[in-house]
Amino acid sequence: MHKSKVIAGVEIGTNKVAVLLGEIQEGKSLNVIGFGHCSSRGVLKGEIIDFYEASDCAHAAILAAENQAKVKIDGVYLALSGGHIRGRSSEASVNITSTDGRVTREDIEHVSAMAKERDLPENCAVIHHLRRPYALDGRMVEQPIAMEGERLEANYWTVYGDDRIISDAIHIINGFNLHVDDVVLSGLASSVAVATLEEKKNGVLVIDIGRGSTDYAVFMNGRCMSAGCIPIGGDHISNDLSIGLRIRLKQADSLKHRYGSAIVEHKDKTEKVWLNNDLEIGDRLVPLWSIEKIVELRVRELFNVVRKKLGALARPERLPAGVVLCGGTSHLRNIEICTADVFETRARIGDNGAMASEELRDSQYSVALGLLHYGLRYQNEHDHVTQRNRGFMGKLKGMFQKV
Amino acid sequence: MIEEPELFEREEGKIRMKVIGLGGAGSNMVDRLMLSNPPEVHLSVLNTDHQALANSPVLDKHCIGKSITGGLGAGGEPDVGREAALADRALLEELCNDVDLLFISAGLGGGTGTGVAPVLADIAAKSGALVISFVTLPFTVERARRSKIAQDGLEQLRDVCNAVIPLPNDLLIQESEPGASLLDAFSQADAWVEKAIKSIWAMMHKTGLINLDFSQLRQAFSKRAGKTLFGLGEGEGEDAINRVLESLKLCPLLHTPEFSKKAEHLLVNIVGGPALGISDVQRIMDNITDEFGKDANVIMGSVVDDCLKDRVEICVIGTSDLRAGSPFISRRSSIPKKVKTEVPSSKGSVEDRVEKIKKKTHVRSRKTCQDEFAFNHSEPKGEFENSVGTIFEGQDLDTPTYFRRGVKIPL
Repeated sequence: MHKSKVIAGVEIGTNKVAVLLGEIQEGKSLNVIGFGHCSSRGVLKGEIIDFYEASDCAHAAILAAENQAKVKIDGVYLALSGGHIRGRSSEASVNITSTDGRVTREDIEHVSAMAKERDLPENCAVIHHLRRPYALDGRMVEQPIAMEGERLEANYWTVYGDDRIISDAIHIINGFNLHVDDVVLSGLASSVAVATLEEKKNGVLVIDIGRGSTDYAVFMNGRCMSAGCIPIGGDHISNDLSIGLRIRLKQADSLKHRYGSAIVEHKDKTEKVWLNNDLEIGDRLVPLWSIEKIVELRVRELFNVVRKKLGALARPERLPAGVVLCGGTSHLRNIEICTADVFETRARIGDNGAMASEELRDSQYSVALGLLHYGLRYQNEHDHVTQRNRGFMGKLKGMFQKV
Repeated sequence: MIEEPELFEREEGKIRMKVIGLGGAGSNMVDRLMLSNPPEVHLSVLNTDHQALANSPVLDKHCIGKSITGGLGAGGEPDVGREAALADRALLEELCNDVDLLFISAGLGGGTGTGVAPVLADIAAKSGALVISFVTLPFTVERARRSKIAQDGLEQLRDVCNAVIPLPNDLLIQESEPGASLLDAFSQADAWVEKAIKSIWAMMHKTGLINLDFSQLRQAFSKRAGKTLFGLGEGEGEDAINRVLESLKLCPLLHTPEFSKKAEHLLVNIVGGPALGISDVQRIMDNITDEFGKDANVIMGSVVDDCLKDRVEICVIGTSDLRAGSPFISRRSSIPKKVKTEVPSSKGSVEDRVEKIKKKTHVRSRKTCQDEFAFNHSEPKGEFENSVGTIFEGQDLDTPTYFRRGVKIPL
């Protein structure tokens, strides 16, 4: 039993709280030993708006997972999402000073530290420094140590967020007497589960469209080049339908599930469907075109926003592996066609098939699964005495935790 | 907007207002009015069903067409209702005698309401009264036949009334709380009718900032009704003006295909507490004319009612002559966009613009700024009303995409 540690991946989403428990043995292998979920309350657009409600839901889910696995959790990996999350690139460069003109470990540490040094806006905390490939005299290199050159450039995609909102989420976990080992951007976590290493090598964009927010991460040469979050999700589609068709949110939700489509399939504007389909008093006909048009406009716009935010990174020639969609809204009919259309590349709906059993295959556990994977790598790094370059694991760690 | 006190000479004889409820649904509306009966409004009910009539608390009630139906009702046949009305023509003429303003309330789709209403309206119009009808339309689930009857009835009624205000039942039940019973939904309809009638009554009988008289009312409805625009709004508190405009804009009756979105003749009545100033009225009017018809012939009234305190209520009724091939219908969805695209491009960088819009949304969400009444400009956010906006390239993404793009959504 010694050397095994139980970690939990916790996602407090707008739709549900998902918890997965993983046992790390010898710091090497990971076994999923329990899961729990609970519908969310007090979360809007990926952010906590009612601490106690969100807290209760999170605790219920964690408790369910603990009871199922009959273990105690040693540490929690927490997913973060929401409109407060921003990203920017941070660069720095150094001249190589060693007599033989070869890059030393000190050079790399120095340039990395300089790149990470840049000040953040007030009240913000770093979530990740995602390292992009180094450039040595303008040449892209993965690992520059011992290579010859004059000038080494380091480039990070820095993801940061409002520290108060981040601490709120951490406090929820602390409130259950659990320790948050690390926080991870939702989009990064789910990309671990739904996209293959091969795809990440070739160039892939992962978009996780949840109920309240959309997280995305783009990969090239196996590295995350950019990641972010847009606080638009499935709720917005329902809300649009509710306003556009003048119906209740619940009815809008039901219409979305029954007839929603990311492209307009029914061009005939006179074709109608029943609103409640219960043939009871109050039921009426709604034009199918109106439903599909409202949904298409919203989804298309969402993808366009992602594309604009990524700029050149989202150009089709950079994404030979296409786009992988996950999250609840990825179940929307024809969404892959709409995606392919906007990004001018192929698109598929992802699931956790590659790394999880049948039961956890659905992408609703992608984020939690990705978090466990993160936890495993983090564990590995701690166990190794020689702490080599920590890649995109180098980050805040314990910065917000209660003492 | 001109005060004309000398025209109030008629005050002596008073404007005679009457509400006649026809059939089951119509009687129910009048029954409700009984509870809050404004003085100077005479209430009557007419039915072909003697038994149903017996249950009504209204004093002035008449069973018509006994010779035809035997007092057993019209059995859902409008033709029977019509014959019943024609058989008792003398009674109807008597009822309409000496009435200046007649409100008819009826449920369309059945026998009595659908059959009698056009006859009664015709008689009243011939005797010189101004006729405004409030009619409910059947539920879609009641299926084609009833709906066909109702549509035919509506068209006939439009030919003879000065204004017809249809209230679709589907909409009524939807506007009520999810758990509400059918009865609650109907009482919502009754409440709407009550508000409209009271609003017009207040316009005629109370004095205020801007007074309206009957001849102006008559002028507004001089044409036979085509599609009628009808909306109610209310708001209270510090920010009452903005709220009342918002509430009017969201009035579900303005969003059905049954209603016109623009009108040639517009009657606006604003009832407010003592705090209601002339500048507030001006602001409301500017917004309403912008929204419902820039070239409209607008008649407005503004009444101060001490009981309302910081509350403001608006009632808008508009008519257009359909046969004239009105160009005013359904332009609403092209209105949105606004603010966004209009931001001056000459000076200021993109950041400035974003900042400006950020400020605007911020201000609006706090509801503090009086200048930002933005009627056309305010954008519906539904569930996200109170959350921090998601600004991207100067647009608040929480607002529906179709709305920002100005895409017209058929209902």
